[in-house]
Amino acid sequence: MRILLVEDEEKVLRFVSRGLRAEGFAVDEAKDGKHGLDLATSYQYDLVILDIMLPQVNGTEILRQIRGRGQLTPVLMLSARDQINDKVTHLEYGADDYLTKPFSFTELQARVKALMRRGRHDLSSRIQIADLEIDRLAHQIKRAGKRISLSAKEYALLEYFAINAGRTLSRTMIIEHVWDQSFEGLTNIVDVYVKQLRHKIDEGHMHKLIHTLRGIGYRLGDDES
Amino acid sequence: MLLLSALVLAFGTYTYLGMQHYLVSDLQTTLARRAAQITDYVVNRPPRMSDAQIINEIKILYAPEANDRFIRITRDDGSVLYISGTPKDLSFDPAGINNITSNVPAQRSELTVNNNRLYIAAITTSPVGNNRQHYIVEVGTSDRQIQSALHGLLATLAIGFPVLLVLAAGGAYLLIERSLTPVTTIMNAAEDISLHNLSSRLPIAATGDKLEHLSRALNRMITRLDEAFQQASRFTADASHELRTPLTIMRGELEFIAQQSHLPADLREQIGSLLEETERLTHITEGLLAIARLEAGEAKVERSVFDLGVLATITAEQMQLLAEEKQIALRVSADQDVKVGGDPARIKQVIVNLLDNALKYTPENGAIDIRVVNADGHAILNVSDTGVGIPKQHLPHIFERFYRADKMRGRAGGAGLGLSIVRSICTAHGGTVQAESTPGQGSRFTVILELARSDPSIEAALV
Repeated sequence: MRILLVEDEEKVLRFVSRGLRAEGFAVDEAKDGKHGLDLATSYQYDLVILDIMLPQVNGTEILRQIRGRGQLTPVLMLSARDQINDKVTHLEYGADDYLTKPFSFTELQARVKALMRRGRHDLSSRIQIADLEIDRLAHQIKRAGKRISLSAKEYALLEYFAINAGRTLSRTMIIEHVWDQSFEGLTNIVDVYVKQLRHKIDEGHMHKLIHTLRGIGYRLGDDES
Repeated sequence: MLLLSALVLAFGTYTYLGMQHYLVSDLQTTLARRAAQITDYVVNRPPRMSDAQIINEIKILYAPEANDRFIRITRDDGSVLYISGTPKDLSFDPAGINNITSNVPAQRSELTVNNNRLYIAAITTSPVGNNRQHYIVEVGTSDRQIQSALHGLLATLAIGFPVLLVLAAGGAYLLIERSLTPVTTIMNAAEDISLHNLSSRLPIAATGDKLEHLSRALNRMITRLDEAFQQASRFTADASHELRTPLTIMRGELEFIAQQSHLPADLREQIGSLLEETERLTHITEGLLAIARLEAGEAKVERSVFDLGVLATITAEQMQLLAEEKQIALRVSADQDVKVGGDPARIKQVIVNLLDNALKYTPENGAIDIRVVNADGHAILNVSDTGVGIPKQHLPHIFERFYRADKMRGRAGGAGLGLSIVRSICTAHGGTVQAESTPGQGSRFTVILELARSDPSIEAALV
């Protein structure tokens, strides 16, 4: 899997490509728009990550040129501009996703994986993590064979965790997917719900499935780390 | 008005007195001329007439009784040659008028007979005839005519002046009103200008006078204010914007470290703490940017129509668990069909922030009530709690950025922008937010928004 990363901010470029490489991706870097455009139009990438404000040729222009050539490579835009207009404009130009700075790497990682997965329906209606079973059609949960009843929000939260099992999810991501942006930054709503969910899922089990990573977020998974 | 009355009164008095003086002196002149005429024509003129002729001549020529005149011709020795009879208006009795016994050739006198003022002009002739006889010719009349003329004048003045006063006052009022209309317009426009619509200007009163200068000067002042405010706002927006990239880098690097598997537990905690602070910084910059944009009118409020009661109910449901955590009763009551226009996501943020605030300051086992009502043509959202309340001196400031009533409050307070964002959103929607509080008993926040004209075609789906 090969990813092109076009970003003029050296340090952002560094931590993003380092993170992606750690995930096993091959990453090509470009620090200006012209170099980015050359690479994007010369090679076939599995994903292109484009900053919008770039020297020489900006991200918007690169996006238009890629789409103008009929290339269907997924494109993820990065921007410090969060106006809804910017987002809509770029999605209309054919971007597949749009991420606003400052973002957490876990968020970027989740979106990258979602874009790579696109087109493959690998999400089954049943998910099993250790002895936790989730029936996505019936919205039913079992742990060690025992039924657990969850409220609608708790279920939505658990399902989001399960789809991204093994991956750390930030509060921002959880709020955006399970609630909406109105709740961002204000309440400890995620913590309260996770606490509740943990009580229902992990209570009485030696093997805990929901993990807290301080300052980063939460993860549902089999592992202990 | 008082001044005007005084002026009119003074003018009236002046007119009256002037008229009186003119009429009296005119009468006296007439009398003197008449006396001179009689003297010349009847007494002095040769050929000398007999006494009987004189009497006859005077009766025919002057008809003193009919003209309300007094005529008397007296000889040197005091004997009367002729005396007119009682005048038609009976204003005096000729017999009761004392003789003038002086040798002054001509004189005027005034006397009062039977409560009537009498004006008399007298002429003593030079010696006439063989016996060198002097005659005294007296012509007089009462002031009746003058009095009636003056009464007429007084009546005219008495009726005319109030009418004049009313007309003058009315005219003055209309004039003032007309010249003040632009002032009223400017005043009303000035009342409407606040920090949130500094781009609007006062109407120019095209009067060509000081008023026009004033409106232009005021507009220039508003322009300067607008520029200063926009600069401050732009600075906040730019600063928040510029902070995004370094924040992204800090977060990225810290997350990378935190996810190293060989990290000692205490170091992991410290990195976690740093990440939490990075997140808080992010929220502060995002909040500031949001406020700056709302204030600059840059964040165009998306217009759709939605039911405020439904939005409040949904939002409260989503926050129910937070209330349960603290054993707080969170109740919602909403009128049917309270439709407002605006951006439902932003109004939802208002409700979330107000509830978040209420939850923060309400101790366990308290209660929070949300009410949505349709009152006086407005949509009103109330959030009241049984919390610690807000001391009176802090109440006017709680919507200010970073204002903290309780300086000792810890980091549980979040970014300190929640209420400030609430106010910015309300203002951007043409609404208001107010807070009331009784320390120790609770607080109540009231959001007032315009009701939307119902148009189902632009109604937003809330769920």
